[in-house]
Amino acid sequence: MVEICRRQFLVASGSVLASAAMLSPAQAMELELGGKNYHQLRTYNARTRSHYACTLCPYFDGGFSYVEDGAIKKTEGNPDHIASRGKFCAKGLASFLSAQDPDRITTPLKRSGPRGSGKWQAITWEAALAEVTGKVKEALAEPDTIVANEGGFQDTAMSRFLDTLGSSSLVRSCVPGLGGMAKQTALRQMFGVSFLLPDMEHSKYLLNFGCNTMETALPLAQRLTDGLVNNRLKMVTFDVRLSNTAGRSHEWIPVQPGSDGVIALAMCRHILEKGLADKAFIDTWTNTTSEKLLEALAPYTTKMASDISGVPEKTIKRIAVEFAKNHPASVFTMNGVSSRQQGVEVEQACLLLAVITGNIDNEGGCCLPRQYQIADPQPAPKPLSRPAAKMNHTFPFEVINGQRKVRVLFNHMSNPVYSAPAASLWREMLKDEQRVPFVVDFSPFMSETSEWADLILPDVVGVERHALVSSPTALKPWASISVPGVKPVAMAMDVRETLKKIVEALDADGQKGMKGFWAFANAKQWVEQSCAATPGLEANYKKLVSKGFWPDYGKIDPANRQIIKDGEPVAGEYGTFKKSGFATESGKIQVAIPDLKPNPAHAKLQPGQFVLTTYKVAYHALSMTANLKYLAEISHANPLMINKATARELKIEDGSLVRVTSPVGYLVTKAMLTNGMHPQVVGIATSAGRTSYGRVAQAKPDLPIPAHANPQLHDADIEDNIWWRDKGVNPNEILPLALIKGNGDQAWNDTVVTVAPAQSGDVYGTIRVDNAKHLELYKQMTA
Amino acid sequence: MGESIVTYNAFHHVAWGTTISVYFWLVGASAGSFVISCFGWVFGIKRYKPLTMTASVTAIIMLLLVPFLLTWDLGKPIRFIYLLIPGYWHSTGPMAWGTLLICLYPMSMVVYSYFVLQNNQTFAKVFGIVAIVLALSTHWYTGVVMELNPGRFLNHTALAPLLFLTGAFISGIGLMNVIVWIRNLFRSEENKFDPALIFEMASFMVYGIVFDIFLLFLDFMQTVYGNQNEVMGHTVVLMEIFRFPYLWLTMVIGLFVPLIILVSPLKKTMTGAVTASLLVAVGVYGMRIWWVLGGQYLQSFY
Amino acid sequence: MAIQEPQQKEPRSFGLQTPGTKGVIGKKRYAMVIDLRKCIGCMSCSIACKTEYGLPLGVWRTWVKVMEKGGYPVTKRIFMPRLCNHCDYPVCVRNCPTQATYKHEDGFVLQRYNRCIGCRTCMVACPYNARHLLPEKRTDDKLPRMVVDKCTFCIHRVKKGLVPSCVQACVGGARIFGDLNDPNSEVHKLVSTETVTVLKPELGTSPSVYYVGADWEIMDEPHSYTNRTAQSKAEFNDFKEYHNGDAFADIKEGENLMAEVGKNWVGYLKTIPHKAKETFQAFKIFLFD
Ligand SMILES: Nc1nc2c(c(=O)[nH]1)N[C@H]1C(S)=C(S)[C@@H](COP(=O)(O)OP(=O)(O)OC[C@H]3O[C@@H](n4cnc5c(=O)[nH]c(N)nc54)[C@H](O)[C@@H]3O)O[C@H]1N2
Ligand SMILES: Nc1nc2c(c(=O)[nH]1)N[C@H]1C(S)=C(S)[C@@H](COP(=O)(O)OP(=O)(O)OC[C@H]3O[C@@H](n4cnc5c(=O)[nH]c(N)nc54)[C@H](O)[C@@H]3O)O[C@H]1N2
Ligand code: SF4
Ligand code: SF4
Ligand code: SF4
Ligand code: SF4
Ligand code: SF4
Ligand SMILES: [Mo]
Repeated sequence: MVEICRRQFLVASGSVLASAAMLSPAQAMELELGGKNYHQLRTYNARTRSHYACTLCPYFDGGFSYVEDGAIKKTEGNPDHIASRGKFCAKGLASFLSAQDPDRITTPLKRSGPRGSGKWQAITWEAALAEVTGKVKEALAEPDTIVANEGGFQDTAMSRFLDTLGSSSLVRSCVPGLGGMAKQTALRQMFGVSFLLPDMEHSKYLLNFGCNTMETALPLAQRLTDGLVNNRLKMVTFDVRLSNTAGRSHEWIPVQPGSDGVIALAMCRHILEKGLADKAFIDTWTNTTSEKLLEALAPYTTKMASDISGVPEKTIKRIAVEFAKNHPASVFTMNGVSSRQQGVEVEQACLLLAVITGNIDNEGGCCLPRQYQIADPQPAPKPLSRPAAKMNHTFPFEVINGQRKVRVLFNHMSNPVYSAPAASLWREMLKDEQRVPFVVDFSPFMSETSEWADLILPDVVGVERHALVSSPTALKPWASISVPGVKPVAMAMDVRETLKKIVEALDADGQKGMKGFWAFANAKQWVEQSCAATPGLEANYKKLVSKGFWPDYGKIDPANRQIIKDGEPVAGEYGTFKKSGFATESGKIQVAIPDLKPNPAHAKLQPGQFVLTTYKVAYHALSMTANLKYLAEISHANPLMINKATARELKIEDGSLVRVTSPVGYLVTKAMLTNGMHPQVVGIATSAGRTSYGRVAQAKPDLPIPAHANPQLHDADIEDNIWWRDKGVNPNEILPLALIKGNGDQAWNDTVVTVAPAQSGDVYGTIRVDNAKHLELYKQMTA
Repeated sequence: MGESIVTYNAFHHVAWGTTISVYFWLVGASAGSFVISCFGWVFGIKRYKPLTMTASVTAIIMLLLVPFLLTWDLGKPIRFIYLLIPGYWHSTGPMAWGTLLICLYPMSMVVYSYFVLQNNQTFAKVFGIVAIVLALSTHWYTGVVMELNPGRFLNHTALAPLLFLTGAFISGIGLMNVIVWIRNLFRSEENKFDPALIFEMASFMVYGIVFDIFLLFLDFMQTVYGNQNEVMGHTVVLMEIFRFPYLWLTMVIGLFVPLIILVSPLKKTMTGAVTASLLVAVGVYGMRIWWVLGGQYLQSFY
Repeated sequence: MAIQEPQQKEPRSFGLQTPGTKGVIGKKRYAMVIDLRKCIGCMSCSIACKTEYGLPLGVWRTWVKVMEKGGYPVTKRIFMPRLCNHCDYPVCVRNCPTQATYKHEDGFVLQRYNRCIGCRTCMVACPYNARHLLPEKRTDDKLPRMVVDKCTFCIHRVKKGLVPSCVQACVGGARIFGDLNDPNSEVHKLVSTETVTVLKPELGTSPSVYYVGADWEIMDEPHSYTNRTAQSKAEFNDFKEYHNGDAFADIKEGENLMAEVGKNWVGYLKTIPHKAKETFQAFKIFLFD
C-alpha cells in the first residue's frame, strides 16, 4: 500500500483550503472567449498551451491543447482561428482522451497465436522493424504486391512510401477532402473543384440535400446558426430521416431515397419556366443556355418528381419559387445524395439549382473553395500510387477471387473490418494467410482490423502528431499547424518516422534511390519541409508555429463572429471566377442534364421491406473515437429507427427486438419508433456495435485488462463508472457491396432490407452473414 | 402539436435511499415507544409503569442504530463531526437541527431511564417531559427535512410532520405491543405484563389510525387536485411504481385491515390485537418507503 | 429587466450567505442565457465541461436533453441544455447543514468540497437535478470524491477573465454569459429584449439561467418522465443497475419494487468497506502522522 502523508490526505479528501481565499468578488473585466486554461481547483495553475489541429474529420478545426504535469488535460478551439472561431465539436473536445486511453497500444505487438486469436507479444522496435523490412524486401521483386489500405484524411506518408517502393497498390477507405469520392468527382466535372462552400451565414435561403450539417459539418453548422438567427435564413432539408439538422430546419422534406436529383431538376425546370432563373449567369458561365437547359429539363416535371419522391407537387413548386426569389441562397449536399446509385449525377442535379439562380461564389451563395494545397516534402518520389488510388471496397473480393496478389498489406488509419461494406469479407480475407501472408497495422488502438494483423506498430494519436492542414471551411484560405505539447506516450512512434526507418533499412546506403525521399529528421521536420513546399506557405512556417494558423486576417469579434481588422469588418472576396473562369476545361460550369432513374430495387418494396440508411452521429468520428469515454457515454447504442405507423403495421413495438435482413444476412437489434423516419426507410447509425478497441467501446468495464495495456494509463473511472451496457450492433456487417457506377465508391444508402419482429432464438446483437452471397453478388456485379 | 417524446437525457440517482427510509421508521417507532414509556411516569397512568423500562430500552436501542445508519450513509462518514462544529452550523438546514436532536434525544432518554430506575418520580417526570419533547421533535424534524424541498412535490406539504408523528405514534404502539406479547411468551406467569395493556394500547392505536387515514386523505386530495407534478406523482409514482408500499402496505395492510380488526370483535382476542399491531408497524414502514423514495422518484429523469 | 433600486431582498434570503442580487445596483449577478434558437444539440458544452473538470462517467454538470416533437412528417427536434441555475434563492444552500454549499456574492452557488459531508440534502433540495455525488473512484484521485459537486459557473475561469468552458465551446453560440446587472452586458440585453423563460419559476428559486425560445414540454418534469423512448428507459435501468451509486434509492422500472428496495439496502452495506477504509486512514493520519 502506498504511504499517504497527512498533507496528501487533505488533498485526497478534497480539502480546498484555497477556495475561500480565491473567491473574492470578480474583477470587472470583459470575459475572453478562450485561449487559456487553468487547473480547476486549489492551485488554479495555468496550463501550457500548444497548437492543435483536429484531424478526426476532414474539417481540421484549429485549436489548442493544454498540458499540465506532462499530460494533455484539454483541447479546445482557437478563438482567433477564422475557420473554427474557437469552436470544436464534441469529438474534437474529447480527442485528447485518446492519448490517455488505457486500452491504447503503446508498444509494437507481434501476433503470438493464430491470426485473429487476440494473443499478442510485446516486442522491441528493432525486432519489429527488422521483421517488416524483411518482408518488404522479399516482396520488392513484385512491388505491386505491397499494398496499403489508407484511411487518413490528409496523411500522405503511406502513399509516399508505396511510391518510394515503386508500388501503385494504394486503396482507400476514404478520400482526402470533404465528402466521398462520388461527390468530389461530381464537383470536379462540373466546377473543376472538389468542394463548394455554402456561405450560410449570409444566405437568405438554404436547400440542404442529404447533409447532416449540424452533426457532421460543425464548422459550417456554427455559420448556419448565425445565419438562422442573425440573418433570418430559411432552411429546408431534404433527408429520409429526421437528423438533428432536419429537426432544426424550418422544413424537413422526407423524400423517397435517392429521389433528390429528380426533385432538384424539377425545381430547376419550374424556376426556369417561371422566369426566376438568372439567365445572364447561365448564358455567361455555363456551357449551355437557359433555353437549352429548359429544353433538356423537359422530362423533369414537378408531377414526375412528385410521383417519384412522394413530395407533393405543390411543395416542390413552392420551395423552388422561394429558393429562386430569396437571393442570395445556397445549396448544400453530402453523402445522402452522393453515396448512392447515380450519386454523381444526383449531386450535380442538386447543385444545378445554385447555378441557375446565379448563386455561385457570391456572398451567401455556394462559394468556390479557398484552401492551401498542402504539399509533401520535396523531393518526392514519382507519384505511382496516388493517381491510381481507388476506394478499397472491392479489395477483399479481388483478393479472395485471386485477382490480386498480396505479399504485404499495410493498414493505416482505416478500419475496414468495421467500417467497410461487406465487413465480414474483409475478415475472411485477413484470416487467409495464404492470400494475405503478412499484415502490418499502424495503429494506436486495437481496432477490429488490428485484431487480424501480424504486427501492430503503434502510431501516435492526433494530439501527439505534428501536422500541417488546410480545409476549405472559411471564405478565406487558411492553413494551421499542430505542434504537440507532449511526447508520444511510451513507445508510440509517428508513422512517418517508422516508415523512414523502414526505408532506411531497405536502402541503407542510398543506392536504391529510396532514402533520399525520406531525408527529414522527424515528423516535425516533415511538417517544416511540407510547409516549405506548399504554394503560398513557403516562408511562413515560423508564423504558423507562433500563431497556430496563417494568414492572420484579423480578430474575430465575439459578438457577431465577424473578422475585424483595424476596427473594420474584413470584407469577403467573392466572384473569384470572374477573373480566371472555372477550373474546368472550358472555363465554364459544365452542365449536363442526366438521365435519372429511380432505383428499380426501391420501386417495388413489399410491406416489411425498407431502404436502409446508415448515418453518422454527431458524437463519433467513425471508429476514431470508439474508445473515448465521454463520447461513448453520450452515444453507444444504435437502435433501428423506424417510422411509428409503419412499425405498428408490422407489429413492432418501441424497444422490441427486430430482425433486419439484407441480401447477405441479417442482424438482430432493437427498434425505436419515431415520427422522424420516412415510412419506407429504416436507419441504423454507424459507430456502434464494437467488437474491439477496449472496455469503453464494448461497454464492458469488466473485460480483463488487455495484456498490451499500459499500466501507467490506468483509469479508475473506466473500470468503475461505465454505466451503459448496450453497445449497439454494427450495420456494416449486413451491407452488401453496392458500387456507384464508374466511380468505385459505395452507395451507402441503397441497401434494401426486410424488417420483421425477431424470431424465437434471436438475441440482441446476433449477426449472421453468408460470405458466399457477398461473392455471388460481386460476380453478378462485375459480369 | 402532435406527440413529443424525450429521446436523450442524462440520468440521476435518487439521493436518499433505503437507509433514510429505515431511519425515518426507526426514529418514529422510537418516539412512539418512548411515549408509552412515559405513560406511567409522566402522564401518571400507573398501570403502565411496568412497561416503562421495556419501552424505554426499545426506544433507546432503536435510536442507537440511527447514528450508525446515518453516519455510514454519508459520503464522508468521518465528517459527521462537521455537523457539530459551531462554525459550520447552518441554522436554516433542518439537518443541522436534526443532528442536535438525534444527539440530545437518546441522552435525555438515558437520564430519564436512570431516574426511573432510581425511582425518582420528580426527576423522572421532568426528564421524561424533556425527553418526550425531544422525541417528538426528532420525529417531527424528519418530516420537516422532506417537507422543506419545494421541488419534491409529493413531500412538500405541511402535513408531512403530522403524518410522520401520527405514524410514529401508531407504529411505536404497534411495536411495543408486539414486543410485550413476545416477552410475555417467555416469561413466567408472575413476570408477565398485564395482557390488558395490549388491548388498551391497541384501542389507543385506533385513534391514531383514524387520524392517519384522515391525514392521508387530505394528502390525497392535495395531490389529485394539485399541480401537474402532484397529479403525476400520485398517478404515476404512487399508484403505479410504488403501488405496493403505498396502496397495499400503508393503506390496506397498515391501516384498513388493523382498523377493521380493532373495531370488530377480533379486537378482544390476543391474536387480533397483536396482528393488528404488527400490521400497523409494518404498514408505517411502507409509508416511509413511498414517502422518501417515491417523493424523489419523478425527478429521477428530468 | 431594469436595474432597480436595492430592494427588500432580505426576507427571502434567510439561510443564504448573501441576499439575492438580481437587479441590485453595485452588485454583480452572473447569469447565463441559452438561446435555444441557436442550439444544435452538438453537446460540445457537455464534453467541454466534462473535460474541464475531468468529471467521472455517470455524473454531469451540464447535459442536453433531446426531444422529438410533432407527427410525421412535421417533426422537429428540440434541444434543451441543462445545468445548475445558480438560483438567487437556492434551496440547496438553505438546506445544507454545514454551509458546504454557499452563495458567492457575485451570484455563483458553490461547493466547499472540504466541508461537504456527502449527506445529499442539497441533492434532495435542488429542484433541477443539478447536483451529483462524485463517485468513489475517478481518474485523478486527488480531485474530490464522495462529496457533492455541481456546476460552478466556472468561477475559476470567470475570475481569470474567461467565459465558462461550456460557453467557450458552444458551437451554435447559444450560450451567453455575463453580468446580468451590467446594463451593457450581452445577457442583460437579451433578458430585457427577448422573451425569456426559466425552469420552474413557481418554486421561487429565481434561476439565473434564462432560456430564449424554450419549449414547455421539454422543460416539464412529469412530461420528461412519462414520455420517453423504450431505449432511454432501458438505459435508465442500466444506469440504475451498473453505475456505482452509493446507497442511492435507485429503482429499476418494471422490476419488483420491494426487491429493488432490498437491493438498495445491499448497496448501502457495500459502501461501508470503502468508507471505513477511508475513515481508518483519516484516523491513522491524524493520530500518527
Ligand atoms: N460526427 C461526425 N462527423 C463527420 C464524420 C464522422 O464520422 N462523424 N465523418 C466525416 C466524413 S468522412 C464525411 S464523408 C462526412 C459525411 O457527412 P454527411 O453526408 O452529412 O453524413 P452521413 O451520415 O453520411 O449522411 C447524411 C445524411 O444523408 C441522409 N440520407 C440518406 N439517404 C438519403 C436520401 O436519399 N436523400 C437525402 N436527401 N438524404 C439521405 C442520411 O439520413 C443522413 O442524415 O461527415 C464528416 N463529418
Ligand atoms: N455504414 C456506413 N459505413 C460507412 C459510412 C456510413 O455513412 N455508413 N461512412 C463511410 C465514410 S464517409 C468513411 S470516410 C469511412 C471511414 O472509414 P475508415 O477510413 O475505415 O475510418 P475509421 O473506421 O474511423 O477507422 C480509422 C482507424 O484509424 C485509427 N486511428 C485513429 N486515430 C489514429 C491515429 O492517430 N493514427 C493511426 N495510425 N490510426 C488512427 C482508428 O483506431 C481506426 O481504426 O467509413 C465509411 N463507412
Ligand atoms: S468538426 Fe470536430 S472532429 Fe471535425 S475537425 Fe472540427 S473539431 Fe475535429
Ligand atoms: S452533501 Fe454536502 S453540500 Fe450537500 S447538503 Fe450535505 S454537506 Fe451540504
Ligand atoms: S439549480 Fe439546484 S443546485 Fe443550482 S443553485 Fe438552484 S437549487 Fe442549487
Ligand atoms: S458553467 Fe462551467 S461548470 Fe457550469 S456547466 Fe458550464 S462548463 Fe460546466
Ligand atoms: S454546445 Fe451550444 S449548440 Fe451545442 S448543444 Fe451545447 S448549447 Fe447547444
Ligand atoms: Mo467520408
